[in-house]
Amino acid sequence: MDQKRLLDSGKYITELAQRINYLADIKGGLEWGSLQELLDRVQNLRSKLFDLKEDELFVELEQIERRLDYLEDRVVQDLSPIEIVNIVRSPQRFTLQDILENCYDSYTELGGEGECNIDPAVVVARATITRRVKNRLYYHQVMVIGHEKGYGEEFRNGGCAKPWGNEKALRYMKVAEIEGIPIHSYIFTPGAYPIEDYPGAAQQIARNLFRMSRLKVPIVAFISEGGSGGAEAIGLADIRLMASRGYYSVISPEGAAAIEGRIKEGGKVPRELVEHCAAQLKMTAEDNLKLKTIDRIIEEPPLGARRGDYQFFRRLRYEMVRATDEVVLQTKSFRTFRSYALKRQSQEKEEDFSDEFDIHIKWSLTDSEKKRLLELRSKKYRAMGKGYKELRQTLQSRLSEAVESLKQNYYDIRYGLLRQHSRQVQKLIEEVSSEGSVFLKTVTEPVRVAYDFVFPKPKSENGLNQQDILRRSIFMQEWEQYISPLANEDKTVSCPNAEKYGCKDLWVPDLYGEFSGVCPSCGHHFPLEYQWYLQNLFDPGSVREFNKHIVSANPLKFQGFDEKLKKAIERTGRGSAIITFDASVFDIKIVVAMLYSDFRSGTVGSAEGEKFIRACDRARTTRRPFLAYIHTTGGIRIHEGTLGVIQMPRCTLVVREYIDSGGLYIVVYDNNSYAGPVASFLGCSPYQVGIRSSRIGFAGPRVIRETTGADVPPDYHSAKNALKRGHIQGIWDRREFRKNLFEALMTMGGPHLYYK
Amino acid sequence: MKRDKIIIANRGEIAIRIMRACRQLGLDYVVVYTEEDRHSGHVRAATVEKGKGAAFKIANYKDPNEIFAVADHCGATAVHPGYGFFSEDFRFARRAAARNRPITFIGPRWEVIRDLGSKINTKRIAKALKIPVIPGSDEPIYSELEAESLAEDLFQKQREDGVKRPSILVKASAGGGGMGIEEVTHLDVFRQVYRRIQNYAKRQFGDEGVLIEQCMKDYHHLEVQLLCSRHKEVVHFGTRNCTIQSTGRQKRVEVAPGFDPDYVAYPFDAQKVLDQIVEYSIRLAKEVEYDNVGTWEWIVTRDGKPYLLEVNTRIQVENEISACISRISRYKGPVNLIKEQIRTALGEKLRYSQKHVSFEGTSIELRIVAEDVKRGFAPWCGTITRFEFRQEPWLRVYSHVPQDEPYEIPTEYDPNLALAIVWGKDTEEAKTRAKEFLLNTNIEGKDNLGRPIVTNLQYLYRKVDDILRFV
Repeated sequence: MDQKRLLDSGKYITELAQRINYLADIKGGLEWGSLQELLDRVQNLRSKLFDLKEDELFVELEQIERRLDYLEDRVVQDLSPIEIVNIVRSPQRFTLQDILENCYDSYTELGGEGECNIDPAVVVARATITRRVKNRLYYHQVMVIGHEKGYGEEFRNGGCAKPWGNEKALRYMKVAEIEGIPIHSYIFTPGAYPIEDYPGAAQQIARNLFRMSRLKVPIVAFISEGGSGGAEAIGLADIRLMASRGYYSVISPEGAAAIEGRIKEGGKVPRELVEHCAAQLKMTAEDNLKLKTIDRIIEEPPLGARRGDYQFFRRLRYEMVRATDEVVLQTKSFRTFRSYALKRQSQEKEEDFSDEFDIHIKWSLTDSEKKRLLELRSKKYRAMGKGYKELRQTLQSRLSEAVESLKQNYYDIRYGLLRQHSRQVQKLIEEVSSEGSVFLKTVTEPVRVAYDFVFPKPKSENGLNQQDILRRSIFMQEWEQYISPLANEDKTVSCPNAEKYGCKDLWVPDLYGEFSGVCPSCGHHFPLEYQWYLQNLFDPGSVREFNKHIVSANPLKFQGFDEKLKKAIERTGRGSAIITFDASVFDIKIVVAMLYSDFRSGTVGSAEGEKFIRACDRARTTRRPFLAYIHTTGGIRIHEGTLGVIQMPRCTLVVREYIDSGGLYIVVYDNNSYAGPVASFLGCSPYQVGIRSSRIGFAGPRVIRETTGADVPPDYHSAKNALKRGHIQGIWDRREFRKNLFEALMTMGGPHLYYK
Repeated sequence: MKRDKIIIANRGEIAIRIMRACRQLGLDYVVVYTEEDRHSGHVRAATVEKGKGAAFKIANYKDPNEIFAVADHCGATAVHPGYGFFSEDFRFARRAAARNRPITFIGPRWEVIRDLGSKINTKRIAKALKIPVIPGSDEPIYSELEAESLAEDLFQKQREDGVKRPSILVKASAGGGGMGIEEVTHLDVFRQVYRRIQNYAKRQFGDEGVLIEQCMKDYHHLEVQLLCSRHKEVVHFGTRNCTIQSTGRQKRVEVAPGFDPDYVAYPFDAQKVLDQIVEYSIRLAKEVEYDNVGTWEWIVTRDGKPYLLEVNTRIQVENEISACISRISRYKGPVNLIKEQIRTALGEKLRYSQKHVSFEGTSIELRIVAEDVKRGFAPWCGTITRFEFRQEPWLRVYSHVPQDEPYEIPTEYDPNLALAIVWGKDTEEAKTRAKEFLLNTNIEGKDNLGRPIVTNLQYLYRKVDDILRFV
């Protein structure tokens, strides 16, 4: 018995009880390894502490500890994914507050403190972190942003950030950018709180991602509990570290099990299924490192770090500084970085590390370094999440690809050089003309003529001849070029609003033909298949699909998913849930990405993300507007795990680059659009529009009910409410989709847009 | 044709007239009625002739599902929409033709109903065929600049034509029935009115298209009656003059022919104008391959200029005055246009041509309505206790009001009581007879407060003097 035990056996007993409870947390109850009996023995000791003889006490304590050591070893030896999830969820696990106390030297909480806070689940602090170089201390200023679920569990909301919590995070990211200090973000969240209060969970996460993708300061993220979209809200970082006993997943194992097992709401999800899903989702640190969704693992004690693991915090501090150094150095000259990197490698081999640094590195960046930082960030994310399959292309499509790359060169020259010139000439003319004086006009006129000759405007067609007037019926709707097969049934249906507005029953051929699925009296939109839009929205014959050869795969080898994928491919004749194509709308050439419901409910995985990115890049190089038409999306495809989640920051980053380079990005939501995609690369568009009767949001009513315990009104996600929240900018009628799209292209574009 | 069975999807006197036509053609028929109409004449007549099984109660005359359900139930092969209700509903006609068990729609092809159902489209086609239309836009205007320049042109043109108080109409293109129309008498206020109508149209109809045309005043309202078969045959049955209307533009007195130069002197060649509008109407009918009865509505100004207004792709209330003055050499006596309509709709050829059609005399139709002429033609509701008139050989009266029992006017529908069709060998005689009829007609009744019935009999008597004149 060492001295400590003698002196403080009461505290020691408490510790033992905590260790037992911790094991129970991991194993999901006290049944395993007769933990109950062990706990009883500890409690027995506690109650008889002063009645027992010291010897007896110590013998018993030692026995219990031996037994506990043995049990802990056993747990460590085969730690299953669900047990790792349990470690993360244990109340004994370290939280952000512990990190702030132990890794940083001083800190000031911003945007509220403790319960007195706009959102106690999100903690932001201006902090200093120290670096020891040859026994000298250097201080770095950083912005710490993260989730907090402990130290006041009753108001922390389990670390689920509300929209305004994420807004707070974003606000201080901007502050960090202004001050030029790095951001350390700590992810401890099971997911974002799925409510649609202003500005809506999805919308705020999208805003965060959009901003972070071009934030001009180094960002280092550390993931302990990475719950999907909630994690991404502060997780788009230059280096992503992960705790060795953390999890990072697209969905909770319980959520996945409910979906996989088609469990009805309120039904019991079998434990085996949850365990199975936890394993299938590949959510551990090792898995994520293999999937390249994180950069490095920070080793924790074998059973996970708890609040008192000071050694771990020392390590974490060292790793955070090192990671920030690395981000900073990458932007600097090549040689310095290499020497540093070599040092890092040698250090990693050592078992016991020293938290001493060889040199001091300043974390502020020059303008050119900031540029390089963003380039590297872009490169990093573009290289991530590639869990798709590329089919062998036919000769023809390979040829067309060659043509494409030639085209790219052409566009580079045309827009890179000529465009610049054309803009300058036009600017000159505008400036001169705006003087407006008559005599100046005579001066500019010849220049204008010459300009129009060099950069001719497209000529409008001449009027129609008489025969056309007689033969062309103005009543032939433009959408009647393609009639939905739904119209082939001689029956009537009732409008769901019939009771409210007294709509008459609708004859199906009328409804799906002339009325294009819209109730003529109340305007309710009945769903239509995606082909209808493909045929009726764009100029006839203008749709040219590309990147068909990129198809969805099963990168996680998720059990049973291969069959589901095969079925979807057979059913739709397509390889992914996204169709990307060139098209034109009243002769304006655009690039379109279309997520559609028939293929796995329009869920986004690697293939969808990759095709989206390529379409966006194509719009950028060809200088065309980019339309994302969302027929339906059910969110991120859970079967691709974090490879799916990573599409959120990935695609947002590419969209950001497109918009920054001057592109017009329009998103149109139809039917149902939920979760990840809306909370990232769709929701970040400055121009989002909902088709009438569509639903837009973060989580569906069931998830909201299960998370918040409250019911939501049936129109909670309606386009109208999305408009009220400011999420979307307008509601379009399906019948006017084409016209509105054209008008949007014309008005939101302006003269310098690509398509002009 | 003999094996056809017609479902009559209408009520009141037109249902009765259709029944009569069916009877003459030897066709079987069924009628429908609503709860309010259970005592109506058309139900009685049908059950008396065909038995209880020939009348089906429905909830609403305007519900196509019910009409088709009855049609399927009783095995009807054709549907006669009468006027109003489905008569100009191309969707109903299209559904009749496209459903799994198609039935013949007694009217033109649905495409024709659709394309001529819109004044603006009719105008567009007419313009292309060099048929005169009211000056103005023939396509919805969405641009303010375009609208203003057109308005300016219209004012300019009217001044050149010597119009004293030029004015134009600004209309919502998706509107109809007098809604969203405003008159502009000065160009200065045009922009304001234009924007107002545009906003109204956008709010009300979801389409901000606006039409602009010259406001016509001081004109006669003429009609050309055409009959076309499914075999590209076209004949006309002369013209009608329907200028005498209530304030709500409801016709009250109609006369055939459209002008009578023997009766009044016109400052223009009236016969030439009549021939012209008939020729234009036929030109348009041939172009669109019109294939049933139809009425071409015209405006003729005091100086004798005709303008095509619209086409009614249905049988009209006043069809019988045209029939009354028309003679087909092969047939005995007057023509029955409803009979001809059913015949051609069922695919028969006409078996005569224009040269077999001649005209004789003048016919006047009087619409007897329970309305208060002095109070803006407000409809009257109550129970009719007595309705009698003197039978004459030159007179035909259509009414669903029973002559032998009290009849409560259903508030759901027009308070139309009766149509009287009078014939005379010339206009003077027809006029005298019309007056004679009105004097000998006796309608009594009370509303639920016990006040006596109000009708337009006196108004009609006064107005008969004005027929065919520019007053």
